[in-house]
Amino acid sequence: MTGSPNGAWFGCLPRCEAYLPCGQSRHIVRWEAGELRLLSHPDPEAELVLAALGGERTRCLEVAQAWGRHTEDLSVLAIGPRGPADEIAVSWEDVDADARASQRGGQAGSLPPAGGPRRRARPMSPALARAVAQDQQAMQDRDRATRHRNDMLSLLALGYGFQVRLIGQVAEAHAGRPEEAMPTIRPALVAAITARLAPLAEQWLGIDPDQVVVTLHRGPGWGSSELTGRGAQRRLRVSLPAGWLAQVWAAGLALTGRHLVVGVGRAGWPDARVLALRAPGAEPVPLDVHATAAGPAGAGLDVRPTAADAPHWEP
Amino acid sequence: MNREGAETFLRLLAEAQLRDQLAPDPPPWAGGPGAGRLKVQVAAQALTAVRAVDRATVEDVLADFDLAVSLRRLHGSGPRPAPTGFRGPQPAMAMRGTGSPASAAAAPPVDEPDEGTADRYVPIGLTVPFHDTDVSGELYLLSFARTRAGARLFVLWGQPALSREHGLGLQQVERFPVGLFTVTDDRGSAYELDFTHADGSAWVSQADLVPAPPDGIAWLEVAAPPGPAVRVPLNPAGGPSGGEPVAGAPEISPASLSAGEQLLIMLAEDLLLAAAQYPLAMETEPRVVTPRVLQTMGTGLGAIIAGLEAVGALPPDSPIPARLAALCAGLRIDGHEIAAAPADDLPETWLSLLTYYQRRRPDTAQVRDGFAAVAAALPELDGIRLALVGLHNTEGKTALHVLARGVRREERFGPHRLNLDFPLSFWLRDSGGRWHAARPAAWYPSDPEHSIELALVPPLPRSTAWVEVLAGGRSGEVRARLPLRWGSPP
Repeated sequence: MTGSPNGAWFGCLPRCEAYLPCGQSRHIVRWEAGELRLLSHPDPEAELVLAALGGERTRCLEVAQAWGRHTEDLSVLAIGPRGPADEIAVSWEDVDADARASQRGGQAGSLPPAGGPRRRARPMSPALARAVAQDQQAMQDRDRATRHRNDMLSLLALGYGFQVRLIGQVAEAHAGRPEEAMPTIRPALVAAITARLAPLAEQWLGIDPDQVVVTLHRGPGWGSSELTGRGAQRRLRVSLPAGWLAQVWAAGLALTGRHLVVGVGRAGWPDARVLALRAPGAEPVPLDVHATAAGPAGAGLDVRPTAADAPHWEP
Repeated sequence: MNREGAETFLRLLAEAQLRDQLAPDPPPWAGGPGAGRLKVQVAAQALTAVRAVDRATVEDVLADFDLAVSLRRLHGSGPRPAPTGFRGPQPAMAMRGTGSPASAAAAPPVDEPDEGTADRYVPIGLTVPFHDTDVSGELYLLSFARTRAGARLFVLWGQPALSREHGLGLQQVERFPVGLFTVTDDRGSAYELDFTHADGSAWVSQADLVPAPPDGIAWLEVAAPPGPAVRVPLNPAGGPSGGEPVAGAPEISPASLSAGEQLLIMLAEDLLLAAAQYPLAMETEPRVVTPRVLQTMGTGLGAIIAGLEAVGALPPDSPIPARLAALCAGLRIDGHEIAAAPADDLPETWLSLLTYYQRRRPDTAQVRDGFAAVAAALPELDGIRLALVGLHNTEGKTALHVLARGVRREERFGPHRLNLDFPLSFWLRDSGGRWHAARPAAWYPSDPEHSIELALVPPLPRSTAWVEVLAGGRSGEVRARLPLRWGSPP
């Protein structure tokens, strides 16, 4: 049993592993205590240096780099799963196929590849210079979009367990942002919480997901909840902090024992104490919960954490 | 404008669309493949048009939505296919032309202070015949306009007749022999004519007079071989400088429309125009079936209204959404998801065009070709000054030519390809009482004034003795009654 007295967001998340094809082998990638580790690569930093000097860049390293690039990327919240029922199945074959398609698309670009034969430079007219600049900007945008998509596919291919942990990490990264940064961050966070709370609210209360209204809670306390109106005007209004996605939802705690969990009192695995709502508008009550997880269902080298392997918490 | 609210609205709308399409049994309002994406896109375009959100944010939201949808259907599960498919390497999407916030639809046009004191618009309505060895025909003089940007004639070319050799295609010929024409004034000064065509109609030209004639000249003579010259009086008796309004000066009614209301009005009018122009012969029987193009144009109207309300661009008690709902009902457009109950009444203009759509017959004879001399300047509206400079019927369609100051041609489009470069509502009522909607069909490349060809729907019959112009903007509406002096091409 592990505990998390210092309140780290991942205190209720056990470690998680996946195999992935790397070169001619299959290697293990592990997430543990908020970090991604490459168990088959004892010195990844040295490998990165070698890769920068022209050596082979392994898939494990690429995945680790992609993970690092997106731990604060709000688009992860918009793209990633909404819950176990929304499992996004991406295989490594999909990743490879997409990378090949991207390369083909790149070769079909309108500008010659760098380093190719060049004619002597001639002065360009302003209009031509503008057109060239726009073309270059468009190419940079395309490259950026391609890398973003390739990254997303690789990260999603790690499986559901990694997907929810990445979502938690992104949410946690933005939970403590200063107020002046919030106007550009809050819309994505509100949408992300709504996306994951709405289907849970349907299970909890039978309410239409479209009738769930979320605001972002800031400051002390867990937030608030109330049920208003009737019929088509019925609304479940919930205010939750961004950290709810990390500490509660990513850990699979959100709906436990017919309670909506709104916070974690004492984090731990497989035992924790949470704050939970019996009904909207009620005061949250402490609830001691215990997790069971079957562990990765498929044995062998194709194993990766699916939604079915997500922990199940009970009071 | 509430930028944060706008982005939140768009992200929540995208989320709702994704959720609907992920459902095991998508609800009927989820629409067919791509409908969810279209709703998000048109709502985003509307919010961009009223300057509530910037284009980069919209691109981010749509990129996330596209990738989220695509990934969920990688293996045939999840939502049904979206038309955009898997997001390719292109970072931009079908948001082309939505414009940046700084150049949105409701942006007040930037223009220099303009008193309009030097402007003069004179209807002409005269014909100049021409003939040389290769080609012969007629040039119809619609109007003369003199503004601080210069002086010009608006002309319409008649169908030219080619010599026998040219008719057989044995020799190249210039169909519009602009070099044949000479212009002189009452003081003996000569002018060159610099012809430019609109990007739409080749039959109408704007002929700039070079150099610009001085103030105070009484007439111009336009001549072409074999002559004689046609004299164009520039001070028509009783015609005040600046146009010839009849039945008094234009009426101006103040208004205070929000940016969202103006956008919805323009969307409604585009719907009416699309309906009225839809060829009847292509309709299926029974006629209650609404053309697919209209159904598509109705998609997302509810989302647009909700978004405009969310950012404060549309007052919650605005009557426009209810009118739009009533219009959709009249056009039998479903799936628009407008929350407001349909209004009991519609504006007279909308009702007139809706009635035309509902009662049109496939065997209706098309209007006869012809041109009408009309010239009048309208009071400034939302920073835009319009002057009517001519009207003609060609091949069953009516085109009204206006000179516009205070607009910019940037090819900015709002929801459902709504043209945002001309942010006014513009109607003509004929002497028979029917209203005709006008929207830009072609622009002349000129600056700082734009000559714009407005397509009138339905076309204007040549029996029309006068028209009442109704131009509406956010700050008010202008009505002016003008006589039409029809000319008759043979």
